Amino acid sequence: MTTIALRGISKRFGTQLALDDVSLELKAGERVAVVGENGAGKSSLMNVLYGLYAADRGEVHVDGRAVRIRTPADALALGIGMVHQHFTLVPTLTVVENVVLGREPTRLGLLDAQRARHEVQATCARFGFSLELDARVDTLTVGSQQKVEIVKALHRGVRTLILDEPTAVLTPQEADELFSVTRRLSDEGLTVVLISHKLREVLAFATRVAVLRRGTKVAEVAATAATPESLAELMVGPRAPSATASDARPTDVVAALVRVSAGKLRDVSCVVRAGEVLGIAGVDGNGQRELAEVLTGLRVVDGGTLTVLGEASKLTPGLARALGVAHVPEDRLKHAVVTDFSVAENVALGRQRRPPFAKGPRIDVEGRLVRTTALLEAHDVRPRAPGLRVGALSGGNQQKLVVGRELDGAPKLLVAVQPTRGLDLAAVDAVRARLLAFRASGGAVVLVSLDLDEVLALADRLLVLHEGRVTGEFSRGAFDERLIGQRMLGVLDA
Amino acid sequence: MSGLVLSLLDTVLDAAPALVFAAVGATLSERAGVVNVGVEGMMRAGAFAAAAAALVMPTPLGVVVGVAAGALVGALHGGLCIFARSDQVVSGMAINLVMLALGQFLLEAGFSSPSGTPPITQLPRWLGHSPLTWLAVVTPHMIHGLMERTAWGLRVRAVGEKPEAVAAMGVRVSRLRLGAVMASGALAGLGGAHLSTAVLDRFEHHMPAGLGFMAVAAMVFGRWTPLGAALAALFFSFGNALRLSLASSFPGLVEHVPQGVLLALPYALTLLVLTFQRPGLARAPAALGRPYDPELR
Amino acid sequence: MPEPTGPSSRQAAVRAALPSVLAIATSLVVCFVAVAVLRGGVEVAVDAFLAMTWGAIGDLPKLVDGASIAVLLRPWGESATKAALLTLTGLSVAVAFRVGLFNIGAQGQLMVGALAAAVVGAGVELPAFAHVTLCLLAAGAAGALYALGPALLKLRRGVHEVISTIMLNWVAVSLVENWLVPGPLRAQVGGGNSVAGTAQVHESAELPRLVGEVSRLNAGILLAVVAALVLWLWLSRFVGGYEWRAVGLGPEAARAAGIDVAGAVVRAMVTSGALAGLAGAVLVLGTEQRYPATLGAPYGFDGIAMALIGNGHPLGVLATSVLFGGLRAGGTRMQLFGVHKSFPELIQGLALLLVAARLIWVRLVDRLAPPRGGGP
Repeated sequence: MTTIALRGISKRFGTQLALDDVSLELKAGERVAVVGENGAGKSSLMNVLYGLYAADRGEVHVDGRAVRIRTPADALALGIGMVHQHFTLVPTLTVVENVVLGREPTRLGLLDAQRARHEVQATCARFGFSLELDARVDTLTVGSQQKVEIVKALHRGVRTLILDEPTAVLTPQEADELFSVTRRLSDEGLTVVLISHKLREVLAFATRVAVLRRGTKVAEVAATAATPESLAELMVGPRAPSATASDARPTDVVAALVRVSAGKLRDVSCVVRAGEVLGIAGVDGNGQRELAEVLTGLRVVDGGTLTVLGEASKLTPGLARALGVAHVPEDRLKHAVVTDFSVAENVALGRQRRPPFAKGPRIDVEGRLVRTTALLEAHDVRPRAPGLRVGALSGGNQQKLVVGRELDGAPKLLVAVQPTRGLDLAAVDAVRARLLAFRASGGAVVLVSLDLDEVLALADRLLVLHEGRVTGEFSRGAFDERLIGQRMLGVLDA
Repeated sequence: MSGLVLSLLDTVLDAAPALVFAAVGATLSERAGVVNVGVEGMMRAGAFAAAAAALVMPTPLGVVVGVAAGALVGALHGGLCIFARSDQVVSGMAINLVMLALGQFLLEAGFSSPSGTPPITQLPRWLGHSPLTWLAVVTPHMIHGLMERTAWGLRVRAVGEKPEAVAAMGVRVSRLRLGAVMASGALAGLGGAHLSTAVLDRFEHHMPAGLGFMAVAAMVFGRWTPLGAALAALFFSFGNALRLSLASSFPGLVEHVPQGVLLALPYALTLLVLTFQRPGLARAPAALGRPYDPELR
Repeated sequence: MPEPTGPSSRQAAVRAALPSVLAIATSLVVCFVAVAVLRGGVEVAVDAFLAMTWGAIGDLPKLVDGASIAVLLRPWGESATKAALLTLTGLSVAVAFRVGLFNIGAQGQLMVGALAAAVVGAGVELPAFAHVTLCLLAAGAAGALYALGPALLKLRRGVHEVISTIMLNWVAVSLVENWLVPGPLRAQVGGGNSVAGTAQVHESAELPRLVGEVSRLNAGILLAVVAALVLWLWLSRFVGGYEWRAVGLGPEAARAAGIDVAGAVVRAMVTSGALAGLAGAVLVLGTEQRYPATLGAPYGFDGIAMALIGNGHPLGVLATSVLFGGLRAGGTRMQLFGVHKSFPELIQGLALLLVAARLIWVRLVDRLAPPRGGGP
């Protein structure tokens, strides 16, 4: 029995076709995974089903009936719930308030707080969740917050639950718990859709896997008939293997931290050498971001000594740049480019006072244009339009522009945080190749990524951070994924 | 001395309601995530509409018209901010400027007088004050109850913090916000109506003479809560009343402390409080000023 | 396949200006209809609008009939005087916008600037050119200092500038118009008489008139035009202006790029205050000759309208201000047709409201003339 059928869904964002004629059927009590690389359309497809995006074409059928899902309210009414990658909880409200939001029990027009609490308690009891019902959501751990999200959906009586990259923010134990809970729920009849790009967890959890590539469904296979390798090939398609690191020849120390503490960072000591990629691994929020900010002068060091390119004094963003530190930040739209500036203006950003971008106090429009044109060509940024708003470029081209700019001034140290997140495959390859080329030319790279596979592929040496402390250091050749995983959890001797 | 206190109380009870209504109303809009610096214009709309309507109908009905006018201007602000995704401060200031000019134009066109409407019958007095005074005593509590004890209030508090959460639970963000902004406008309109039907007996061309901006200050001062905003509004009104009664009771005082300095005091005090309070204490709603677009990527 | 190219800068400029132009046009039409409906017919409205036009740009029909050149110069003087004030306050608001601050305090900055000009103009004796210059400097400095507070409060204590500048406007009104002007600074006139406002400024401090006594056309408009041009060049041609724009459009990116964000905010806000202060000086030295009992027109708030309708571009602000300065000067002539002289302010307010709905116009323009270029 088919409960939900998506037929021929297409969705366009501006000029970008996010979904192209995608169909998918979901049977009651089934565990279906939708996999694909970043930007393949997984989330877009499910956002259409949940009424957050309006499909340009295509139909949704529920229990054999064509339905129009225009808003999440429509989806909820049809028994479809979704847990988003970025939680949709109100941090200042309590668990109970968050769960009943949108369908609050009332008495004489007033909120019936007691009944609300009882109802939520009943839902939790029925599905085996234990939560602090009266705690403000912002006091809960990420894992608990995700449980609140699931309870929210179950409280609405959903029969289909969509989980969008649910493990991205969880520790491996929390992830295990999540999957055991959802497996139990599916045994009780709940249909679960898992959106993920982590193939091992997909195969461990799902019974059926749909593979999306660049907005189209390229395959649908039974989980028992698939391996991580076969899925990866379906997701990625025929392409040359991604560049990986090999035989580094590290030389001088370009940056050294001695017992540095800053924000979440605690007593971190390490060195970065020219000609190597130092990978930083860790579960999100364990101090990686702070480390990158310290190295680029964006965060003041609370304790310890930081020496960057021979300079031991207080580092500011301006000084860091002047010394030769380049930065590819995680949130490029916020930290790397000014979206309303033109491409040429963004190429000048960070070195706007120096030739060829300035002649004395004046902007050198000619010089800037020449340099920009060359950079767009060298890094294959499309379109080659120096006057275009950067906001009008695709994400991949924005990132190629940022990487190109940061490598343009012959820097000595490149700090790259999640440099390939959200990019299409061609852009991922282009960015990775640039990082490795920079290393080969004698540059030092600090690569922070939440994607362990990326760190393993590119790093010559790898530090593991857990709760702001270094819990492991590995050299290429001695990479042990199981051990690294344990260190990411703070397990030191196992 | 007790005479001074009584006259002080009298002045506050007469003058404060306009500010209380407007300040409490402002919290509604901003808690829903829509910046409202258009309170001044909404008050002006209410003051004018109430007085103009009271010329042809009983004054209490005129007040209702004033409330409706405020809500209508609120709808305009809400529409611009929510559907046209205008900058919310810009929209508010635009409304203020339009209402300033429109009031003048309508005075000319409708009453051939640049200074004010003809006099109307003032609202009756209950226990020495207009009914709106007593309404202003209960309104902050009612709005507090509305925010804290009703489903709508819960949703408004949620939408100002995280509109995505409200949308994901199947509640329409745009409708919720529009409702809050219109309610805000209605209360500002009521405040304006109080000026033209209770404080005076006509609309005067300068109304509300900056009270709307004071209401916004009172809202910030009151940390975006209805009761806090009302208290701040009372505080401002009290300061003003104190200045007036001191000036009349002790004429000599004015020689030592000039009127202008006393007049500046509440504003300077607000600035001082804002300057020296611990950061994070007066936390504005997290999504304040941020338009919501589900397809924004 | 040829790569799509970005729109040329001229096209981009036209596209950026279109919403404002359409908003003003719509506002004019709506107000025309309002007059026609409320004042008895289209003919009256046509006559009223014509009167406003001749009042703004000079009475061309009369000139054709052989009247003296004064029928042009007099209206020009009135229009230019108002345009100068609007331009300076508009630039004040616009330059703060460029670093991401909403300076609602131009009114207060204008007041302290006007007072400084009045005090220096009446209290100091100097040769003509030096005196005017000193008055302008004093006014600019006063406005700049008054704007420095909100900038520092924002940077150091996180106080939102909209709130702090609103407060400071009221502080300025209270202190200047309710204490200093009627009190300590009130003009002393012999024989027990007294006039409202401060003492009259010396002749040497008055802004020079450009065409003699025929018209009130004074150097204020030159000051305004120069200010607009300088600001435009600064923002578009100089690295410092580029940094201001980067701070306004992407503060986090600007900080990461090593730009001194706090410094840019302070410098831009001080410039903003100085421009508003200059507007106060132009009002006092050009028109009032003293700080009057009350300044009357809220030019500081009008500056917000000018900045927004002019799309924050110095030349856009100048064009908008010249238009509305003219309409305001001409508006007085509409009184003959039973339309209050504040009518142009209604046109202006409505235009601002329509500009606030910028997105709607942008969509309309995009639909009628789809942009070339764009993403892949």
